[in-house]
Amino acid sequence: MTGGCQSGGNSGSGGKRIGVTLLTREHEFYKQLEAGLKEAADKQGYQLIVTSGDFDLAKQQSQIENFVVQKVDAIILCPADSKGIAPAIKMANEANIPVFTADISAQGGQVVSHVASDNLAGGRLAADFIARALNGQGTVGIIGQQEVQTGLDRELGFKEEMKKYPGIKIAIVLNGAGVRDRALKAAEDMLQGHSDLKAIFGINDDSALGALAAAETRGRNDIIIVGYDATPEAVKAIQRGSALKADVAQQPHDLGAKTIEAISTYFSGGQPTKSIAVPVKIVDANTLKESGGVP
Amino acid sequence: MSETIREQELIPGGRRLQWQRIAEYVIVIAIVLESIVFAVIAPQFFSVPNLINVALSIAITGILAVGMTAVILTGGIDLSVGSAAALAGVVAAIIASSGGGLGTVVLGGLAALGIGLAVGLFNGIMVAQFRVPPFVTTLAMLTICRGLAFIITGGRAIGDLPSSFEFLGKRRLAGVPVPVILMLAIFVIGWFVLKRMAFGRYVYAVGGNREAAYLAGVNTKGVTLLVYVLNGLLVGLAGLVLASRLGAGVPNAGLQYELDVIAAVVVGGTSLNGGRGSVIGTFWGAVFIGILNNGLNLAGIDPYMQKIALGVVILLAVLADQLNKSQGALKT
Repeated sequence: MTGGCQSGGNSGSGGKRIGVTLLTREHEFYKQLEAGLKEAADKQGYQLIVTSGDFDLAKQQSQIENFVVQKVDAIILCPADSKGIAPAIKMANEANIPVFTADISAQGGQVVSHVASDNLAGGRLAADFIARALNGQGTVGIIGQQEVQTGLDRELGFKEEMKKYPGIKIAIVLNGAGVRDRALKAAEDMLQGHSDLKAIFGINDDSALGALAAAETRGRNDIIIVGYDATPEAVKAIQRGSALKADVAQQPHDLGAKTIEAISTYFSGGQPTKSIAVPVKIVDANTLKESGGVP
Repeated sequence: MSETIREQELIPGGRRLQWQRIAEYVIVIAIVLESIVFAVIAPQFFSVPNLINVALSIAITGILAVGMTAVILTGGIDLSVGSAAALAGVVAAIIASSGGGLGTVVLGGLAALGIGLAVGLFNGIMVAQFRVPPFVTTLAMLTICRGLAFIITGGRAIGDLPSSFEFLGKRRLAGVPVPVILMLAIFVIGWFVLKRMAFGRYVYAVGGNREAAYLAGVNTKGVTLLVYVLNGLLVGLAGLVLASRLGAGVPNAGLQYELDVIAAVVVGGTSLNGGRGSVIGTFWGAVFIGILNNGLNLAGIDPYMQKIALGVVILLAVLADQLNKSQGALKT
């Protein structure tokens, strides 16, 4: 029924076949993730059957059902719904097909490895950037998204790292719900309540761009804002010399490669780590100049 | 519904108006009290820049709340305001960024109002003509508008706007942010239309007792339709101001604004059953919530606590309304 778009056939006899169901194929992040998967799989001689769940749990379930029927050797999954996908994972477990999750974790069923960006490390990178830019002195604020684990991890990493800098005080943490207009309001109260604020960390780019809009409305171009995800809009804002000075960039290509690596370890009889953290990096105007605008 | 025609609801004045007065006094007193509390715990609270900041923070909710008050007075509800505002905002941004200078910016603004109007017209026709429950119609529009906003933007914010696009959202006139001026103007117009024009009386009549209003010669369908259309126009305006404030058309803007807006209306003493309430009450409701959020932010209170505080306030407001209503029922 809803098979999704499939690439690759079933003709190959030697290589292992891996069923992939991505969250979407629309976003740049997932395009790069898919490219990373493919390159690594080609090297290993694995055959990928790539489908997309398109944010639709039911569609993703039927894709996994198809993989089970096709008796693939492994399944890579980016769940559309962490809890809702559990029955489908259990079905694969019963058919003795190993399941790996990438980017988004699942709750329920047996997953061999979960491969995702290291959000704690990303928060730390952002903290280091701000601490260096402020020469280790000043008051900073965080616009977080406490409803979501990734948001919490980024905030936590930031706070932990800032403990290394006794001259820096995290004066305020507000919730921007990860969307720009809420972040804008939060940033306005933040700037209002703390006139000595020197820097703001936004746990995603909507949070950071909301803070940027608030800072620009107030003419506070001296403030240092650091975002997360390095979306094209954030990259542009960094390049035009705005108060948004840096962004933490995920490495979706590496994420794909690491996932295949884990599968390869598993196929060769090893036991890959349960939770694999993919490094992130920080980009600013200088690194963007060197890379020609690619985060 | 009881068969007795409650005439007070057709004629402004009488007991209902008294209740509104009391409700307005109560909320103004509550505003004074919370201001005193915040002034004590957050020294930055009582300053002109912060009060302007509070006004700015409620500007968009306030514009939406005026339209929502009218909708709720008819006994309806509009859940689509946040999504429709986002859709209006991204369309305005797309047109404004197409590179024609001021001309395309103005065109984008008009398109935003047009989108709001179209959504309002659709909601109004469904409710007035086809008698689809407002909750359902506007819930459908909530998801449709959000989907459209994502589709036409490909999920990305539309930035790179000409600086003239920022007028409505980022500029100040005589030190007052333009969104605040707009909000105050809309409140005054809303008050005038609902309290001083025949149309306003019809709105109250339709929500108070539709049958009686119909028998008294009120064009109930027409009044309902027009309320949704005017509300849509305000939604378009709010979406435009929001995009201007953000400096971008953002497809996920306005998420759950319907809840903020309904909260302001309800806290302002307007009954969700229709027929009772006022724009002035809504203004105070928006101010109360704005000060609550701002004060808790300045005091560095945990964001979760803020949600609980707002929930308690809404419960108290609805409870007060319910007590008043049951008391009224006992008397008649």
